[in-house]
Amino acid sequence: MLTSQPTLLIGPSDWDAEVMPKAEFTGRIATLWGLYPEAPCAIVYGDRVHHGELAYLTNLVPKLEAAVALLFPDGEAELHVGGGPNMIGAARPLTFITELKPLRGGEAIGRRAAESRARRPGAPLLIGGDYMPTALRQDIVEAIGVPPLDATAPVWARMRRTTVYDQLAMFNAGGALGVAVEAIATAWEDGSGVTDAVLAGERAAHDEGAQDVRTLFSINGGRTLQPFTMPVDQQVDPLQVYVAVRRFNYWAEGFYSISDQPQPAFEKAQELLRRALAAIRPGVEPAAVEELVVSAMKPYRCHPVTERALVSRIGIALEEPPHTNATMAFEPWEFCSVRVGITDEAQNHAIASAMIRVRDEGLDAFWSAAPNPIEGRPPWWNKDAG
Amino acid sequence: MNFAERLADIRACMQEEKLDLILGVHDGGHFIEKPNPVMVLSGFKSLGPAAALLHADGAIDLIVTPHWDAERAAELCPDAHVVGADDVVDGALAKIRNSAGVGTSGLRVLPYGIASRFAAALPSARSADKLVFDAARTKTSEEIANARAAARIAERGYERLIEIARPDMSEDELAVELKWHMKTLGAEDNFLLVCASPHNRAVQPSTGRRLQAGDIILAEITPSCGGQLTQICRTVVIGEPSDELVRKYRLVVHAMDQGIAAARPGVAVAEVCRAINAVLEAEGYGEYCHPPHIRRRGHGLGFASVRPGDVALDNKTVLAPDMLFMIHPNQYLPETGYLLCGEPVLLTEHGAAPLTQQKAALAAVAG
Repeated sequence: MLTSQPTLLIGPSDWDAEVMPKAEFTGRIATLWGLYPEAPCAIVYGDRVHHGELAYLTNLVPKLEAAVALLFPDGEAELHVGGGPNMIGAARPLTFITELKPLRGGEAIGRRAAESRARRPGAPLLIGGDYMPTALRQDIVEAIGVPPLDATAPVWARMRRTTVYDQLAMFNAGGALGVAVEAIATAWEDGSGVTDAVLAGERAAHDEGAQDVRTLFSINGGRTLQPFTMPVDQQVDPLQVYVAVRRFNYWAEGFYSISDQPQPAFEKAQELLRRALAAIRPGVEPAAVEELVVSAMKPYRCHPVTERALVSRIGIALEEPPHTNATMAFEPWEFCSVRVGITDEAQNHAIASAMIRVRDEGLDAFWSAAPNPIEGRPPWWNKDAG
Repeated sequence: MNFAERLADIRACMQEEKLDLILGVHDGGHFIEKPNPVMVLSGFKSLGPAAALLHADGAIDLIVTPHWDAERAAELCPDAHVVGADDVVDGALAKIRNSAGVGTSGLRVLPYGIASRFAAALPSARSADKLVFDAARTKTSEEIANARAAARIAERGYERLIEIARPDMSEDELAVELKWHMKTLGAEDNFLLVCASPHNRAVQPSTGRRLQAGDIILAEITPSCGGQLTQICRTVVIGEPSDELVRKYRLVVHAMDQGIAAARPGVAVAEVCRAINAVLEAEGYGEYCHPPHIRRRGHGLGFASVRPGDVALDNKTVLAPDMLFMIHPNQYLPETGYLLCGEPVLLTEHGAAPLTQQKAALAAVAG
């Protein structure tokens, strides 16, 4: 879900070899060379907004300036970090790569890539090239001398196939998400105004070690969502919130609605969410799940926020590819956010969601806005899932 | 100046340059050094990629993503015709009949995936960056009020730093706490650099490094209110500061004072930089007044326009009342390492007025 993008990423992002061993990254990079045996190198771009691919291959999430990784088939790797030589020290703890250099512009990157063609004459790979500023990309491409091969989409496809390390990181993010949503609910029950309650959730997530927390909330009963722009002291019932929490580079997100009154719309959304979860298994297409949900939605219609976004694959990226293709069937061990939003376009609106891991048969819901999303499983954070 | 007067200025310039339309585009990746033409033209700080189209007759189309954010945009920009879109390029191009007479703003810093599509669709369009951002070189009364509010929050954030910084706390923990605290005070965003070392080479984003006695903490605290950033630059030592550190910090504060004194209407920005350098050069630090030790002595404050630009020797921009910018010596000295010292100033008819209540002074916390 798209939220306000902070101007600087603040929070613990250092690479932890116990959480994500170097072998995970070298395995991912080796897979890339398996897909492109002729390629002499890969140029991987990331900045503080778009960095899913860079983080997947290097662990680096640029906090301030952009970075470009140059990866070579012999295992050599360089990270070129923006902001000048003085930024190297701050970038070093964020990655397993030891060769860090200042980013000196696109021409230097392109020349280095061109040199590598002496060993393998194929076209260098470009990953995340569409996120680059135009001038940087043009300088790189011109200096290479041949058009690079865009390998971004194949990396997205690989990002869907998670290992136990990805999964543990996701469960950690899900745990922090659960704590954050509970803290918002508790603050709301204690009489806090809208933003005080939301900030209590952000604080709780940070106390759980969150690297980043993003929130949206509604002051009109869930009809529209808004980011924090200024303190809002008023108390609202229901309070519809969206919370995204990042831990160890992995995101978990959730929609929840808090009220001390019966909420027919939210109950309906929860019921539809349970239906959706019951239908998800490998081989099923998101479009089929969406059809199932929409067919049972009356008298409500789709909420604008979740319209065309019932299922979103999530993990190392929150709101960037791999975007969900409605006809791209679920695969075992991928992580998704499943969202059901409904509105009667009058007074009643609600959005409920769940974080799931698809399994060989069915799924795990490790955070859910619906109680008992799957029979026999706890309603919030499934501590056994990890 | 208010927002409507600024738009009137832009339209007058459009007429002079024979532009029928200005298309301003921003990708939603708000950054302290990336000017935002959508904010200049509409006042709206978007969640995702957005475009503002200012027509010669004054009509404004605002294209926002995600599509569901359109209602918020319409509430905040009642004079604009707001359209929610899934794709900002398709949404904006649907409003443009002919690329002749179109000026574009913001394309240079857009991601290639967006910029290349606009460039292909509008081959006759001209850059209107200078027109748009020059018109916003002075702040509106609302931006100035937001800057003052942000300055108050920055100072309270700094007070919080003094209160909580202690050995064994990580830089990340300190930064997260400060950002959260300032958000509770109303800061919707924060460019907050916090790092520490006994001898800093520069100010950097925080890492997991744990604070230690003898560290010098550098804090560049930059909260945003209503989309307007304001910054303070501060230095805090853990434990008793050495006499040398105290002396050197006084030197950089003196340099800053000279820079502030030099900032007057009609003076080029470069003169502010020169005044700061002169103090340091007189003490034998001339070689440290240039890259790689220092690139600039201050900068404009976005998110809308970052005019008057960097406080640097090559900036010939002439200062005018209602310009808002940072003056920060932020100097590396071989004896002490990098020291942060800086104030946000608003240029008035009489000179540069700091927005802060307390000027930078070396602080110490228990080691």
